[in-house]
Amino acid sequence: MLRNVKDYHYPGSLDEALSLDNRESRSFFIAGGTALALSDSSRPVELIDVSRLGLNDLELDRENGNLKIGASTRIQRVVESGAARSVLGGFLSESLEEIGSYPIRNAGTLGGSLVRPFPWSDIIPILSVLETEVFYYHEGNEKTRELSRLYESDFRSTLNSSIIEGVSISLPEEGNTAAKFMKFSRSEFDVASLNLACRLTVEGGYISKAKLSIGARPMTGERIPALEDNLVGKKLTEELAKKSGKEAGESAELRGDEKLGQEYREQLVKKMTEEAITEIMKEVANES
Amino acid sequence: MKVEFELNGKEQKFDVKPGEVLLDLLRDNGCKSVKRGCETGDCGACMVLVNGRAMTSCTLFAAQVDGKEIRTVEGMEDNLTDQLKQFMLEAGAVQCGFCTPGVLISAYSLLTHNKNPSEEEIKAALDGNLCRCTGYVKQIDAIKETADSIGGSSDGKK
Repeated sequence: MLRNVKDYHYPGSLDEALSLDNRESRSFFIAGGTALALSDSSRPVELIDVSRLGLNDLELDRENGNLKIGASTRIQRVVESGAARSVLGGFLSESLEEIGSYPIRNAGTLGGSLVRPFPWSDIIPILSVLETEVFYYHEGNEKTRELSRLYESDFRSTLNSSIIEGVSISLPEEGNTAAKFMKFSRSEFDVASLNLACRLTVEGGYISKAKLSIGARPMTGERIPALEDNLVGKKLTEELAKKSGKEAGESAELRGDEKLGQEYREQLVKKMTEEAITEIMKEVANES
Repeated sequence: MKVEFELNGKEQKFDVKPGEVLLDLLRDNGCKSVKRGCETGDCGACMVLVNGRAMTSCTLFAAQVDGKEIRTVEGMEDNLTDQLKQFMLEAGAVQCGFCTPGVLISAYSLLTHNKNPSEEEIKAALDGNLCRCTGYVKQIDAIKETADSIGGSSDGKK
């Protein structure tokens, strides 16, 4: 718990929120508050509540082919929304439902999960395999950046002086594209000891697009470009799934921690990659 | 700082510290059904309804609920609550009782949004509640019975 909160602000605009953040004292933006409530610090801080800035839209824009989700949108609201259910046969809502427990999803927000990218975050691998752009407000302007580039080191200082407004997810063509999310944790609601998301687009039995992201390695989720490149152009078979699993286990940067040893993680990545690709293969076959 | 919210149907104003969590504020103001458990959002003993949604009050700052509607078990006096309490007792779903208010909140929230929950949906709704006595079976039975009683079927059919 933050034991020394000096002040709590309710800014009425993005500019006001940023101006409060630019003051000399240590301050944090707060939306759902779950992450901050769990922070253990006695340093004096100020909290800036961004939940009243109207960043809670959830809008399916079929004309432009995207789903926009405001940063203050509660995770459970996304899970339950018909709009999210329409993304890749339910991939988005079903995957987000794997996060924490019902009360945690009721409180936690999408933006909060992106601003504080915990290593075990499920949201990062899930959104990484979708084509996701992050909208953020910086120096009076709205800007966008690909989610996968959000945590690049040269961008961190920009992110520190910005407010994430939301994400825009491109709606993939249904039918020949499918995705799977898998999570290994000690209990239903525990944070992930390892998580993995995979998305494949298949044309005429051959993979034309591939995305694979692994989180809780135990580091924050990251895509595996080498494996993605190797999958493209290949015929989608059980043999390929097996081979790709082996390759993922060998090429992903994995470490051991108090939850799982490195070797255990390697075996899990191998198995989960194989299973994800196999399940996608079955789904795509059923659709066509 | 001042916060104002509706607590169990009554608009109330409170003087709170900026870092005070809702759990402390509620307990200090007589809502003893809100239990202090893990204080990390894991056990669900401190669960309350915020605008009708179950949330753990140990992970919410009191200032966050300004302008919202909070309900604790003390303020739940309707037919659904009565039925839940009755079936919890009949099923033997209450042993030490420490988790019971949180379980009631989760069950109430579930049955408010879904009158015909499947067993899987009931289990998912109780994901955030730890009970060290019952093994959950009797609580699940009680929620099924309540769903049947209020007009649902608890078979998951919508």
